[in-house]
Amino acid sequence: MRRPSPSAVRWMLLAALLLLWELMPQTKIVPELFLPSLSKTLTVLWKDRVEYAENLLVTLYEVGVAMLIACGAGILVGALVGGISVLRNLMLPVFSSLYAVPIVILYPIFTAWFGIGSESKIAFAGIYGFFPVMLSTAAGIRTIDPQYMLAARSMGATLPQQIVRVIIPASIPTVLSGLRLGGALTIIGVVVSEMLTASAGIGYLVTRYRTILDSPHVFAAILMILLLSILFDLLARAVERRTLVWQTAGRRVPSAGAATSTTRMPAPAPV
Amino acid sequence: MTQTQIIAARLALLAAILAAWALLPKYGVLDPRLLPPLGDVLAMLGKQLARSQVQEAIGVTALEVVVAFVIAVPIGAAIGVAAAEFEYFGQIFKPMLFYVFSVPKSIFLPMFILIFGIGFPQKVAYAAFSTVFIVIMSATAAVESVKADHVLVARSCGATKAQILWRIYVPSMMPVLLETLRISMIFNFTGVMIAEMYASRTGIGHLIANWGENFQMPELFAGVIMLSVVAICFNEAVRLLEVRVSKWRT
Repeated sequence: MRRPSPSAVRWMLLAALLLLWELMPQTKIVPELFLPSLSKTLTVLWKDRVEYAENLLVTLYEVGVAMLIACGAGILVGALVGGISVLRNLMLPVFSSLYAVPIVILYPIFTAWFGIGSESKIAFAGIYGFFPVMLSTAAGIRTIDPQYMLAARSMGATLPQQIVRVIIPASIPTVLSGLRLGGALTIIGVVVSEMLTASAGIGYLVTRYRTILDSPHVFAAILMILLLSILFDLLARAVERRTLVWQTAGRRVPSAGAATSTTRMPAPAPV
Repeated sequence: MTQTQIIAARLALLAAILAAWALLPKYGVLDPRLLPPLGDVLAMLGKQLARSQVQEAIGVTALEVVVAFVIAVPIGAAIGVAAAEFEYFGQIFKPMLFYVFSVPKSIFLPMFILIFGIGFPQKVAYAAFSTVFIVIMSATAAVESVKADHVLVARSCGATKAQILWRIYVPSMMPVLLETLRISMIFNFTGVMIAEMYASRTGIGHLIANWGENFQMPELFAGVIMLSVVAICFNEAVRLLEVRVSKWRT
């Protein structure tokens, strides 16, 4: 017998997972407190949709501002560190050493400085997303084929021309994959900080309903966060594919993640 | 720039930052209630380390980190090797792993609390859960870093299976394996910290969250410095090893 295609198996697994989510609590194999059934979770989500929507807006606002900060600062610093060799030799190893520090332990400092409102979440998530964007921008600029630069220079391109016509287009794929990772991390950062100390947001709902042991409401919030992060991922991948068209249509497919071991992209989301 | 100049420049930078931290709050440029001077923080660190409550918390956290690591690494490595060696299995699971990565693991913390309570098992279970995916991914990468040419040459020279495993697979995979250990330790440590900060009665993470809530800034900064130094030292030690075992490649 022929094996079913891998993607078919994946959809079947997903269906089986959803089915188990519905059936296991209903047949009391798993207590309702640990895992409320899918239908119950969805009913609760629909019933309290106003509350969930309001808190989702807060979360989205924080994610949006944090992403702007993380991407803006990340691209700027990354371009400087990647483009100027003195800075690169000096700073890149330092940044990868700092990556070992669990950033979440800084969150109490931010709440003490900025209060428990949106500001502390934005600051925390901004820093969380900053590192992958910065590192991949630096790697993207560093891995530009030197022949492109040589060709541009020998044809007399000025520095602004080199930047606009060569450096930016050639580094876009690596920068975009960094933005995808950074964006995912800012979402995670916002949700985590909301779960720890907050007064609004989806993460806050998770914690509030958890403390009163209302698991259907907890899972409704979890479901929303899952959907949010998967939607973001799909969106970012679509943007990446569109911008990559000009490169893959050419002769040679440059390997986007071709960073050497010293500047290897940090692994994603340690949360 | 030569290597010594680079190191000197880095040390100078570090000294400048530390000096700013020590002096600016002292002379009122920055509010010392928000950023206590470095000297006060270090004195507080010494005082805290002498307290038996803090020592106990360090012990609990260290045990959680070690146990979670010992559970997560073998499980993740087994799944990862399977995904790399059995093509069909890999085709099914690898794309799923990428989606799992974009999902914050911490939203499942409430589930762990509902099932395990807020004691030791919950910390270990959550940290192992948040670590296992990165181990799977890196183990796959480790197996794939073995060059097919090397295996082919060994086989044509008549190497046995055991010889191929020891002479080709293990040395080729060693640098990636060490990197896996290093990165999964970062994940593992973060997992334990989040779990402790979120809901706990003991452990360093719990102390840090508490100090933050009570606005005890010197204690808070002392805790942050201690954890950062431990994390960075471990990371650098494994990185040194990594460089040593990958020398044969170049």
